[in-house]
Parts: sequence; C-alpha cells; structure tokens
Amino acid sequence: MVISPVHYIAVPLLAAFTIPLLSKYIHKELARIVPGIVLLYSVFVSIVLMMQVSEVGVISEKIAGWSAPWGINLMFTPFSGFLASLMSVVGFLIWLYSYNFKKIEQSQSQKYHILQMMMVTGAIGIVLTGDIFNLFVFMEITAITAYSLTSFYRERDGAEAGFKYLLIGSFASVMILLAVMILYTQLGTLNMAEIAQNAHLIPTPLRATILVLFLVGFGIEAEMFPLNGWAPDAYSQSPGPIGAAFAGIVVKAGVYALIRVIFTLFDIHGAYDFLIYGGLITMIIAETAAVAQTNLKRMLAYSSIGQMGFVLIAFGIGTKTAIIGALFLMFNHAVIKSLLFMSGSYLTYNSLNKKISALAGLGKKLPIVSLLFGLGAFAIVGLPPFSGFWSKLYVLTAAADQNMLLLIMAILAVSIIEIIYYFRVVSTLYYGKQEDEEIKVQKPSINAMVSMLILGATIIVVGVYPDIITHFLNNAADMLLDKASYIQAVLTQNIN
Amino acid sequence: MQNFEQYNSIITTGVYGSAIALILIGLYAVLIKKHLIKIVIGLSIIDAGVHLLFVAIGYIKGGTAPIFSPGNEDAVNKMVDPVPQALVLTAIVIGFAVTAVALSLVIRLYKHHNTARIDQIKSLKW
Repeated sequence: MVISPVHYIAVPLLAAFTIPLLSKYIHKELARIVPGIVLLYSVFVSIVLMMQVSEVGVISEKIAGWSAPWGINLMFTPFSGFLASLMSVVGFLIWLYSYNFKKIEQSQSQKYHILQMMMVTGAIGIVLTGDIFNLFVFMEITAITAYSLTSFYRERDGAEAGFKYLLIGSFASVMILLAVMILYTQLGTLNMAEIAQNAHLIPTPLRATILVLFLVGFGIEAEMFPLNGWAPDAYSQSPGPIGAAFAGIVVKAGVYALIRVIFTLFDIHGAYDFLIYGGLITMIIAETAAVAQTNLKRMLAYSSIGQMGFVLIAFGIGTKTAIIGALFLMFNHAVIKSLLFMSGSYLTYNSLNKKISALAGLGKKLPIVSLLFGLGAFAIVGLPPFSGFWSKLYVLTAAADQNMLLLIMAILAVSIIEIIYYFRVVSTLYYGKQEDEEIKVQKPSINAMVSMLILGATIIVVGVYPDIITHFLNNAADMLLDKASYIQAVLTQNIN
Repeated sequence: MQNFEQYNSIITTGVYGSAIALILIGLYAVLIKKHLIKIVIGLSIIDAGVHLLFVAIGYIKGGTAPIFSPGNEDAVNKMVDPVPQALVLTAIVIGFAVTAVALSLVIRLYKHHNTARIDQIKSLKW
C-alpha cells in the first residue's frame, strides 16, 4: 500500500462515521480504542512521509485526479509536514492520556474520543491543504469540534465558554469566507499557489482588504490580541487534555494559516512589521495577565497566548534563523504546554478548587506529576538544559542580527515575568503549607503517566541534543521562505 | 429590450444590496441583542448574506447551467460559474452545523442558568 498524505484525512473521516456503528453493534469499547488506532496510524504515516520528503523534497497529492489549479491538492512539504507530524504525535499522546481519564470516563466517552480525533484531523488538514477554500472547511471542522469539546462537561461553565468561543469563531469564519470570496472575484482561482503567483495583479486597496479580513479571521484562531477573548475561558472550562490539544494543535493550525497567508499568498512588507507589533502586544498583555491569575488553568491559558505572541514576533522578524526559531518555539510549545496541561489537570483535580494556592503540598503526594510539571515550567521559561532554551536563543540571535535591541529587551523582560508566575506555582507545590490533610489523592493512570513521561523525555532529549530537531527545522524554514519553489511544486505536478 | 436591461440592473443592485443589508442586520442582532436565540438567528442571517453575495458573483446575465449537452456545445461563454455555487453549498452545510451546535449550547446554558439572556449569564468574566 502506498502511503500518501490523503491518509491523514480519509482514514479518520471514515473511522468517525463507522465508530458509532461499531460501538453499537460490536463492542462499546471500540469507540474509545479506534480513535487511538487511527491517530497511531497518523503517526506512522508521518514517519513514513517525513522520511520520503527528506529525499524527494515535496510530496503532493491530487485529490480525485484533478490536477493542481482546478482540483484540491494536499502538499506535504518539509514545513507543512513538520507541523502535521507534530500534530499527529501530540494528538496521539493526548488520546493516550485521556484514555482512562477519570472525568471523561464518567460522561459519554464515545463522543469525546471521536471529537478529539476529528479536531486533530481538521488541524492536519489546515496544514496540508493547498486550496484556500479547503483550508476554510478544515478550519470549520476544527472549530466545531473545539466548540463541542469546550462545553463537554455539563457541570462546569463549559457551555458559556463554548458559546463565547462559538460567537467569536463564527465571526472569524465569516471574515475568512468574505476574504475567499473577494479573492475569487479578483483571480478566479482558489489554489493557493496560483493565488500566490498572481497576487500582484490585485489592486492594492483590495489586496489590503483581503489581507485584513484574513488576519482577523485567522488571528482569532491563533489567539492574537485583541482577538483572544475566547481562549482563557475555553482552556479553563474544557477537559484537561483538551487544553493540551488547544495549545498543541488548534492554535498551531491558526498560526500556520496566518503565516501561510502572509508569507506565501501576500508578500507585503508591512505585514511583517504588523506581525512583530501584534505579537509583542499579545505577548506583553497576556504574560502580565497571567501573573494576576489565581486559577492554574487560566494561568496556563494566558501563558499559551503569550507564547503564541512570541511565535508571531519570531515569524515577523522574517530571517531564516528567526523562522527556525519560530518553528522550534511551536514545537516546544506543543510539547511543553501539553505536558503542563496534562500534569496540571491532575494537580487541579486533586485540589479542592482550581486555585493555585490550593496546590500546596501536592509535591509530596504526587511526586512524579509534580516533578513533570516543574520540568515543564523550567523548560517553558527557557532554562538551559531543556528544549525551551534553544528556541529562545534562536529568536534572540535573529533579533540581534537585525539590531532589534528594544525587541530583545522586551522578550527578556517578559521572560522574567514568566519565571515569576511559573516558579510561584512550583514553589507552592513543594514548599506550600498544606491546609487540608483529608484529600484523597487520585493517582494518574498508567497510560496518562506514559504519555506525560514521553513528553518529559522529549523535552530533555531535545534540550541536550537540539540537532535532532534543527535538521528538520532547517528544511522547513527553507521551504517557507522559498515561495517560488512552492508555486512550482504545485503547478507543475500535473506533468508527471 | 431597453426595459429588460434596466430591469436586470435593478435586480443586480437589489441582490448585492440585500446581501449587504442581510450581513448588517445579522451583525446588529449579534452585537446588540441580549437574547441567546436572537444572537444565533443573527449568526444565521450573516451567513445567509455572505452566501447570497457568493452566488451573486457567479451569476451571468442570461446564463445557462454549466452542463455540456448535445446541441448546446457553444454555450461555454454563457455558462454561469459553478465554483461559487459549490462553495456556497459547502458553506451552507457548515453554517447548519454551527447553528446546530450553537442551539444545543443555548439549551445547555438555559438549563444551567435558567435564563437565556446573555447579560444575566456571568459565571465567567466576559
């Protein structure tokens, strides 16, 4: 059997339709197991394709035999492939973590796992597709599953957070749809490579309008300030593993779409500065807000927004080093923030309320989980032996090359803020005074433990040997900056 | 014939005008109204406006369906653009799904808070 990028989309879709039947007529447990198998298969596809892509350069798949400008094509480039692999691995680990998750167990686990699988599929689709309307469709698949997962717990305020997210998300989808429409009236094509080739033919005012509509639409998914009102509530009300999925998968897809539109579709110079300023404001406001939070998950949510601001800054600098740094940051954020959400949700589960002060003394009761949380906290602020250090170093080096001293100062100042609020949590865990002796500790299940340990090991291994990952990042950054070869790869594929 | 042309341009303006009017009405409902159901209706109206706009741009005066049939081979220039229609079909399905999820969330909110007014639901900071 030939492995092709279309397996990322087709297999989960097929599974999503058959799971309800399988679980009804064969065995109930299949609803939980099949999504895991499908996600594991996605990881396998990623490994095979990443090995192929390092030899071939670009793998493109025409869907239903229609070649590029007319049909929809999936592009597995070193850049999109890297993100797709990252998403499938994180998606599988989240499934592994939530397989025996206590609170999902109690409610309807069947729906949870299908939705989680579809969320990963939608995000991978966003990254792989070469068609702007198809991107919109995948964005909606991701968004609709995200709304439902946000409001998964009936007893929390999930419905409110979900509805808020839905309102903002529908606004985003209208913006994207309008932008796609104006693009189509101007160029008569939906293929991203052809749009990139002909974008200079659009009159400048219209081009700016389209760009702004896209920026607003995708900026909402990418948690850019001031469009990130949904994020803190959605993160804090959704099930713990879904917080990890938002940080590791959904937001990454939003950032990818933003970057694809700015770098490939519209190569406008002002847009890069816009990314830097937008990212800077997002980062400063979110990190400052994170200090004020008393709820652990809200704090992690604001930290996640801040990190996305950092990624946007790195993309905005626009040199090759900066883009390697940005991709490294995305990788780190996916791994580390997932670990923080996973371990953090066990910590909050064992405290009386979700307040940070209630975590006091859990370091002794849940030694491994607390240790992993501490590892994540150290890594995300960028302490040297862990992977977070390298990504920050890349971005700072790139900024220094461009003589952006104020930017460096701002990034370092924000890092200090990060250290303050993360270390506050860690010190509460270990040195805080226990208030209540009577809490019965819920130990994490084995598969959750395995999933967290894999993430923790990744942080340390990549921290010690960053070369493992920088090789891929190097190719990815080359691919992103080389717009011409992307266009060529898409539009000449019908010859062979 | 003169009359027909005039009639046609009125229709075109009318279609574009009503599409924009629908979007604005929907935005008004989403931003000003406090009742959750009215907000969901507003979202659907915005969607409808965008869909109408989408179909309108693919329209050609006196166009035919984009189907090749015997005896009709020279109709290529008169065919309406099928792509926007295909896109609108997809967008309608997506809009349907979003509305369904939104309504189910409204029901959940109503059961939880015993009200469907957005200004009375304040467990989370807005």
